[in-house]
Amino acid sequence: MSGTRVAYVVEPRFSGGTSSAVAAELRVMSECCPVVIHARRSAMFGDTQGMAPVLHQTIDALGLPVIWDAPEISADVVIIHNPSFLKFQQAFGARIFARQLIVVTHENFVRPSGIEAFDVGACLAQIDSAALALRKCLAPISTYNRATVQAWLREHRTTIAWDVLDADWFNICETDVAEPTTTPRDRRGRHSRATREKFPPLEQLDLCFPVHAESNVLLGANFLINADIERPHWTLLPFGSTDVDTFLDMIDFYVYFTTPTWRESFGRVIAEALAAGKVVLTDPDTGAIFGDAVIPCQPSDVDRIIDGYLAEPSRYVEQALRAQPVLDSFSAASFRQRLCDLLTNDAEAAG
Amino acid sequence: MIVISAGTRNLRSYDAQLVFATQLAERGHDVCIDAASLPEGTRRSRTYEAASLLVDRADISPTAVFVLGADELDDPFLSTLWEYGLGSEVPVVATGRFEDQQAYLAAKAKLAFSLGREAEVIDLCQSQPRAMLPKAVNPLVAARAPRARPMGRTPVVTVALGSLETDEEALLPHLSRLNNRKEFRLQVIASGKQKEQIKSTAYRDLPVLHLTELSPVTFAHRSDVFVLFGQGIAGERMASFAINLMAAGGAVVDCTENRAIVETGAPALRGPESLMALENYLCGTVVKSLGQIGEQVAHSPWQRSIDIARLESAAGLPPPEPKAEPPHRKVVFFPTNGVGLGHAQRATVVAEALPTGTDVTFAAFPSCIPMILRRGFDCLPLVSRSDSHETPIANDILTYRRLQQVLYPGDRLVFDGGYVFDSVFRTIQEMDLSAAWIRRGLWPDSPSARIALDREHVFDRVIVPSEAFEELNDHYSFGNRIRIVGPIVKQAERSPQARATLRDRLQERFGRPFDKLVVSMLGGGVASDRAAHSQMLSALLAERPECLHLIVVWPNSTVSPTLHNWPNTRVVQTLEATALCLSADFVISAAGYNSVHEILYHRIPAIFIPQSAPYLDDQTRRARALEERGLCSTVEETDFLKLERALRDCLDGTAAESFRRALEAVELPEPGTESAARLIAQDWEAA
Repeated sequence: MSGTRVAYVVEPRFSGGTSSAVAAELRVMSECCPVVIHARRSAMFGDTQGMAPVLHQTIDALGLPVIWDAPEISADVVIIHNPSFLKFQQAFGARIFARQLIVVTHENFVRPSGIEAFDVGACLAQIDSAALALRKCLAPISTYNRATVQAWLREHRTTIAWDVLDADWFNICETDVAEPTTTPRDRRGRHSRATREKFPPLEQLDLCFPVHAESNVLLGANFLINADIERPHWTLLPFGSTDVDTFLDMIDFYVYFTTPTWRESFGRVIAEALAAGKVVLTDPDTGAIFGDAVIPCQPSDVDRIIDGYLAEPSRYVEQALRAQPVLDSFSAASFRQRLCDLLTNDAEAAG
Repeated sequence: MIVISAGTRNLRSYDAQLVFATQLAERGHDVCIDAASLPEGTRRSRTYEAASLLVDRADISPTAVFVLGADELDDPFLSTLWEYGLGSEVPVVATGRFEDQQAYLAAKAKLAFSLGREAEVIDLCQSQPRAMLPKAVNPLVAARAPRARPMGRTPVVTVALGSLETDEEALLPHLSRLNNRKEFRLQVIASGKQKEQIKSTAYRDLPVLHLTELSPVTFAHRSDVFVLFGQGIAGERMASFAINLMAAGGAVVDCTENRAIVETGAPALRGPESLMALENYLCGTVVKSLGQIGEQVAHSPWQRSIDIARLESAAGLPPPEPKAEPPHRKVVFFPTNGVGLGHAQRATVVAEALPTGTDVTFAAFPSCIPMILRRGFDCLPLVSRSDSHETPIANDILTYRRLQQVLYPGDRLVFDGGYVFDSVFRTIQEMDLSAAWIRRGLWPDSPSARIALDREHVFDRVIVPSEAFEELNDHYSFGNRIRIVGPIVKQAERSPQARATLRDRLQERFGRPFDKLVVSMLGGGVASDRAAHSQMLSALLAERPECLHLIVVWPNSTVSPTLHNWPNTRVVQTLEATALCLSADFVISAAGYNSVHEILYHRIPAIFIPQSAPYLDDQTRRARALEERGLCSTVEETDFLKLERALRDCLDGTAAESFRRALEAVELPEPGTESAARLIAQDWEAA
């Protein structure tokens, strides 16, 4: 175990991927070095929302100390997860002292059109002005996320030159790929949280989930249900109405497109589908981090691609198994190695 | 069509949609509001305002979409936007007042997620850093189109009372003084409570409007000067009115306690905070300098910040084309149907007397249409009020829409009716029509009569057809627009020979000879049920084979089938009742304006049975005036014994002859038909 002291600065009330990612990361990190959690109550969630259950359970299970809204945060390495939690406030509200400050950029800095996804400059400025550190770094979590961070840095002036870590600060994922079916059927589906950006325009959804498919299951389709979208050939399930494993058992092809004006920064749902032995079709940006484990395409290509796999089931199996090496790279072991490198470098820098 | 939407669904947003949509429509754009965005609790005036703009979702094919109030985008709206499934060729322009960059980016993202592409989001804080209302949903823009000031011969000054107390002792007398100034015409904007207070005082003649009674665009179109009192600007409509007026080179006088308008940099005048000082300020400084003020206002750099063209250009809308010249000006008569066809009949009599070549059209309810067509006029059909409609104003909204379709600015609307419908009230002002109200007297003493007077000020002329006898001519309002003319009466000549011929034809038609022809016209039973009277008359006349009794009703009237069984009685549905009356020995009639005056001017003996209903004129008073002069017999509706006696007096006694002699001798005022027609044909501006 390293003697490097690590402080995690998180807004623990994020209910989505950030909290899940941090929870998974803490399990690894706590094995490597002493960790303190600095929880920040930001203006983003008001006063009523509590800590995300996944994070709460993990912190409890690991027995990690949690300090709420400390006026001062001091550690060898301070890791701030998802700076977008600062977007509704004017100041960070604490002083940070560290040799190395790492800001993990869970959210893309710009959207596909090049427009800022949130007021990145204001959030980074809050952190910068609060932190006294020898090195201040941004840690992208995926290929696409890295591209948005770099694009933002190219377009915007900041008070300091933020370093960008070379290796992705990826989300830790389940790595055991289930045995893919050898007799795939035209059973399609998608799963996401129920927010609007996760869905493409209706005509694209129609292309992805056509009437001639054997089944189309859309989990997390709350807003389609609320909008009274009538497609008798769709099974619309509200978010959380069934567990993900059951849902994945209902499909052979995971077809995932978002609105063209937004992209997943990592794509945990895709990793889950790959781990379940499904063939995944998605847009090239979202699929970039998964390499050849996913089929990059457009909604208009979906039918043709699926027809091809149905005609040659062996190709289906071959494709599904391509996920294994990719998922291995997102394993806890890989992350541990990533951390060791980081902490070693930090110790060397400390002399 | 261009869809005007808002980020949230509430009254404030809806108001903003209405105003902005109206502004774009004024500039010739095809605009609509999704009917699904109509918020709960929309009141009467907004329903009218929206009538021409609302389109059902299924009928909307957007060519551009404006999103107002994008600083607050709720989920139902974002769902709507997503459901529109707009193609990439449809521009989407959103306006908002964003607190910071994050709020701007958040709005941009939300719209992008719903559209699947980027919308153009305009932060109004950039162009209007000191907006009149920092949180306004309304983009507070206007068409920059300075007009010569004053617009008409007499400038119009609109005063918004704001938070001034109308029960303050000196306030109403001062407003009254302003109202009597010759240098300008006053219009007052008051809250509902203020208006109610004013109307309950001796100053009820003040022309008072509520701010929602008309669109801010219409208010601005009809004002040269807008004066605001109180603390701040009372809402987005008020701000929009001020901005629209300044964009048109009008004068806004900021008398607010906190200098709410001048502080924004708008080219408004700073006026006195006290209403008592306004008269001198207006007369001494403002009204006589309207031209110069307009010049200064039009050239103010502030105008750029409110230019609607910027939003049009963002949406790629073509610049508005000059409005096509309307077809040659026409006169449109709109008679209400009331109980009988009195209003319509009077209107046709006046229309017939208009100079040859006058383009005349009617808009009328179904019961009047056959009569109007028979007189040779075109007629736009309207829909009568019905209990089966969803709301009591449903038919009037349709009337409003149809009037807007048939009328063009500069046309003349002649309304003949007791109550000025919202459709009429709004159309006149919104379309800048010249308008006359043919308003007969003898009003019942009811609140509705006073309400009717509230709207008199929108008419350029109020033509009052007088009663034949002076004691019946009450005066309800005064002023330059009132014109009293003689009784408007349809006059027909009938020679003794023609009378004999018609009687012969009736004998032939009904297959029976008669010596005496009795015509009864007791009305269609809408106001008062006269079935018993008709039955009684028919029964009494059944004993008299020498009599032919004609029950004359309008076509399509409901007639009791039992009336057809009486031996000497026949039911006649006709539009030519006058011809039958002229051939009758005497007539039994209700005492409406037209019936009485036609009988009087044609000197026909009559028994009158006045009708009574809260919304009718005072028929009893009218009939009594004739009876007191020995010109007729008058029978109260419940006095059946008197009716029998009066009938026998006419048939067996000398009553009919006595009435005839008195009628021959009575001096009647000159009919007013020609005068009314001349007034309607006149150029009022020049006059």
